[in-house]
Amino acid sequence: MEFSAIVMLIFACVVLYGGLFITVSKAMKSSKEKKDN
Amino acid sequence: MKRERWGNRAAFILAAIGSAAGLGNAIRFPYVAYANGGGAFLIPYFVALLTAGIPLLILEFSVGQKNQAGAPTAMSKIKKSFQPFGWWPVISAFVIVAYYAGIMAWIWDYLIASLNVAWGSDSWGYFTGNVLKISDSPGNLGGFSIPVLLGLAATWISIYFILRKGTNSVGKVVLYTVSAPIILLVILMLRAITLPGAMAGLNFYLKPDFSALLNPRVWIEAYAQVFFTLSLGMGIMYAYASYMPEDSDITNNALITVFANSGVSFLSGIAIFGTLGYMAQEQGVAIADVAAGGLGLSFSVFPNAINMLPGGTIMAAIFGFIFFLTLLTLGIDSAFSLVESTVAGVADKWGTDKQKTTFWVIAVLALISLLFATKAGLYWVDIIDHYINNYGLIIGGILEAVALGWFYNTESLREYINPISEYKIGKWWTYMIKVLPIILVVLLLNYFIGDVTTLYGGYALKYQWIGGWGMMIGVAILSFVMAKLHSKYETAELDKSAKV
Repeated sequence: MEFSAIVMLIFACVVLYGGLFITVSKAMKSSKEKKDN
Repeated sequence: MKRERWGNRAAFILAAIGSAAGLGNAIRFPYVAYANGGGAFLIPYFVALLTAGIPLLILEFSVGQKNQAGAPTAMSKIKKSFQPFGWWPVISAFVIVAYYAGIMAWIWDYLIASLNVAWGSDSWGYFTGNVLKISDSPGNLGGFSIPVLLGLAATWISIYFILRKGTNSVGKVVLYTVSAPIILLVILMLRAITLPGAMAGLNFYLKPDFSALLNPRVWIEAYAQVFFTLSLGMGIMYAYASYMPEDSDITNNALITVFANSGVSFLSGIAIFGTLGYMAQEQGVAIADVAAGGLGLSFSVFPNAINMLPGGTIMAAIFGFIFFLTLLTLGIDSAFSLVESTVAGVADKWGTDKQKTTFWVIAVLALISLLFATKAGLYWVDIIDHYINNYGLIIGGILEAVALGWFYNTESLREYINPISEYKIGKWWTYMIKVLPIILVVLLLNYFIGDVTTLYGGYALKYQWIGGWGMMIGVAILSFVMAKLHSKYETAELDKSAKV
């Protein structure tokens, strides 16, 4: 695979799966806080 | 009447992801990305997500949730005269699911056919000859294709049983129909990237051509892809959000839906292009010669690629089954969400029993969808899909963005969203809702100019009128008629909400 294709692969993975991880974590944290309260 | 509720937040998010992530994610996105700059396409795609997809999804979630109603009643509660703008997306969804069920029927047939790799070496011939038994023109219906008829029955029966108990049953089903295709796609991807030639395929998919960013067409394709992939302009997201309590999060739910949906698209691209790279190497041809999207990819190119997998017929059967099961599970939750849009619209307006409404909506849809089980079904799917996607959905988006962005205090929605959401949205969101109609009009004009200068698909003008322009005029008339129909229940509900 060419270097530029690898860069785009990493870029997409970071944005999409990183974004998903952060937003899901935030939702889980918020649910936990609501339960604790 | 007490409104039904999702069992929990996860059920709602999964249902929204299931609706958004459909067949288009697997068979449209990879090809559109490859044809529009490869990896560089991700840049306009992300820009389109940020400036159009996310703002519009937040808008649909917030209007549905705040007004606790599907699109027509929710719009009506904002302003009585907006009700036709709520019916437009619902009727568009109704039209879409009628032919979408036809495509699902073909997938059922291929799922069964994959058990013994029945398509053999000529998968397109198998598709048009054995499955569709295709006639020579849209005007020659030629009776029914029995395999498609049986597939259609399987589709409608599944949808009925999934929707029968409303959010209760949907909430349980989406747990499987959302996770299954992701797991299956990971299996397909792992198989693909370990095949010889796969890296060349991925290179083809991801190698960026940054000069493409200067081409306005690439940006138009990016906005179109984002609009179609998120189930926007179909009334689904209003309906789904209306089953959440009024104080539930909105922005983070929208972000999770967007990231998961686009993540499925991207993953599909790796699985598809990895396999196509292997196929091209085996055939000794360029990847461009085998690259395809849409129906050609699903029912011709990919089955052919599966034939070539190492391991003989058994491996072909296993991966064929996995591929079509992926499509089936991706498609089924999009299909039942489209039905739910209509069910919610009708039940909210006339206060009818949801279970009975579901039955009758599906019965009517099943009857209409018989057109797609005829031997001319493929032609009608192609024509109606082109017009309802390019005009129905985009006009629906324009109507809701104009109504809520230009003739309503959009800031009041932002004031509703921010205190209940995990991520606060700035004024940029309000501006984007106001600007969105302009972006969508550019998209619309682009398609319109194309269609008036060239007959779509080479079909005769009369078929373009029946399945295209005429059908769109029908959607417009029906939107106003449905809004005008009297309902005592609706009047009482609107009075109640006005007092609140």
